[in-house]
Amino acid sequence: MLSLIRDKLRLLKDYNRIAKIDVIARRYFVMNAFDGVLAILGILVGSFIVGSGKDVVISTGLAAGIAMGVSGVWGAYLTERAERQRELHELERATLSKLKETKIGRAASVAVLAIATIDGLAPFAAATFILSPFLFFGSGLPLKSLYVSSVIIAFCSLFLLGTYLGRISKENMVKTGLIMIFAGILSASISYLLLGGRSHI
Amino acid sequence: MASVKLMVLDVLKPHEPSILELAKKIGTVKGVEGVDVTIMSVDRKVETAKITLEGSDFNYESILKIINDYGATVKSIDRVSTGKKLIGS
Repeated sequence: MLSLIRDKLRLLKDYNRIAKIDVIARRYFVMNAFDGVLAILGILVGSFIVGSGKDVVISTGLAAGIAMGVSGVWGAYLTERAERQRELHELERATLSKLKETKIGRAASVAVLAIATIDGLAPFAAATFILSPFLFFGSGLPLKSLYVSSVIIAFCSLFLLGTYLGRISKENMVKTGLIMIFAGILSASISYLLLGGRSHI
Repeated sequence: MASVKLMVLDVLKPHEPSILELAKKIGTVKGVEGVDVTIMSVDRKVETAKITLEGSDFNYESILKIINDYGATVKSIDRVSTGKKLIGS
């Protein structure tokens, strides 16, 4: 059993090396988690302004998370599949052989599935994470505290995404984290100003 | 039938999987005692490799299967040595 798992992991490692899954998955993860965070932040700001209760925030937020998740899976699957197939056809022309049933073809299929999954999970996970105060402490905390804690989690998520990018690019992680936070402040401020900027809570 | 002791293959392969992986995998075939993979030329998408195999009665079909599974094609079999003794090595 253990050796079977080890073999599968080794195979996945091979596929990753061949199809460079991690590099692209990382890019998709950050991009879509960022999208997810900003979208939920927007929902929080909008809901706060109109004075929506926790049920509205949860259902709107989760529905948006699901929609972004499905859109992520579909979008990434179709675009990545098209791109991988084009690459495979080019390689087939160069090697004068069919590659679909080879390790390269299998690696491309695994890459498409893995990237589509990550692309779909990232915004949904971000949405669920940010809405966690509403989901888990909805009955125990006042509505205003739920909003405040969710917004804090959203900004922490943005900072973490930024530091992760900073780690990848070997830049100042605090700086990249703050750049992400700035995007969140900008997005929330524009929404707040455009929607009237007065809370009903 | 005399057993195959040495074989040299001219192979066209993509850059990935690397020759390291290919050589390691071919080395697991029963009867193969030594594998040498040398890159002869590198193109934009493919490279040409010379694969030299030494051993005792290894199965060419198994080796071909691995090479094809790694997305490579055998362009030609450049040398085969059979019998009890290797000539000229």
